[in-house]
Amino acid sequence: MMLRQPAIATVCVIAAILAYWLSGVAAAGRKLAALEPLPPRASYAVTLAFPPEQFHQLRLQDKGRVVEVRERTVYIMDVSPSAAHDIAHEYWVDSVTPWAGR
Amino acid sequence: MSAAITAAPPRARPFGRRFGRGLKGLAGVLLLLGAWQASVPLVGMSSYFYPSPADVIVAFADLVRKGILPVYLADSMIRYLTGLTIGALLGVGLGVLIGLHRTASLALSPLFRFLFAIVEVAWIPIFVVWFGYGVKTIVLALIYVVFFPVLYNTLLGVRTAPQLLVNAVRSLGGSRLQVLRLVILPSALPGIITGLRVGAGFAFRGLVFAEIVAAKTGIGYLIFEGTQSQQTARTIVGMIVMGLLWLAIDQFYLRPIERATIQRWGLTVDAEQQA
Repeated sequence: MMLRQPAIATVCVIAAILAYWLSGVAAAGRKLAALEPLPPRASYAVTLAFPPEQFHQLRLQDKGRVVEVRERTVYIMDVSPSAAHDIAHEYWVDSVTPWAGR
Repeated sequence: MSAAITAAPPRARPFGRRFGRGLKGLAGVLLLLGAWQASVPLVGMSSYFYPSPADVIVAFADLVRKGILPVYLADSMIRYLTGLTIGALLGVGLGVLIGLHRTASLALSPLFRFLFAIVEVAWIPIFVVWFGYGVKTIVLALIYVVFFPVLYNTLLGVRTAPQLLVNAVRSLGGSRLQVLRLVILPSALPGIITGLRVGAGFAFRGLVFAEIVAAKTGIGYLIFEGTQSQQTARTIVGMIVMGLLWLAIDQFYLRPIERATIQRWGLTVDAEQQA
């Protein structure tokens, strides 16, 4: 009875994380719908709603090879399908479009 | 046997009283924010030197919109909870061992007293050399910070377990394990919880320092990086988030757990409840 408060807080935190994750999965599906099926390795132009900061570049660097940043778009190569889904999962990513690469 | 050492649980505070206390707390915060906002034109400095509450709110919204704050928050909490859990488990385990075994006490006590004197701040540069920048170094620093308060409070709890009850269980044919489970651990529980609460607070401060030195993400890094990039409002957002996080952890986890253990055993009284 006395530990009801921690239990409720834990359930709320888990529910918030789950909601965040599920909304990201749905968003990733929408953003990549036109690109499916994804090739094993591909290059993408990832457009954000704002000019990317170091944080965003480092996050994207983990998913592939960032080769260029122009205004709100980050150009990234050697991206696997799962990494493309991870990128599209981020709510700060506006769109993911194919890019011919270099 | 348990009835002899178990006190009645404290009565829950009425909702109206809790709500009134919450309102008073909120009034204090609003007063501070009002004074801060009013002081901005009087100070007359740029937002880099003296950001207003409005600047901080804008910075907060910006950090959320850009996805920075949720990731930093999650990274910090994962590190914090990992360090806290491992540090607490080690502290309780070794506290019970040292409390029960004279040989272990003789062998380990001087070493722990020596290590206790070396603050985690001194260890972090060495951890960076050994483990590099990142999670390992931060978690190790947190384990170190949590370990000692939990260890010494557990030790105190174990050593002050009522000998009468130990003898009673033994005279009834109880094994060493039963003595530990039925007497020693319940007696040590208030000490363990006190150590955990102290360690949790220390770890929170340690987290900020460790992230400043050894991380590229996290709330501590946000605090540091904000001033480095001349975005002082972000630093203040980081500080406020740290404070709010601690309030939430204390309010929703540490206090209820403490109430459910320490006060249940009738050993302490919540001073705030008396106020």
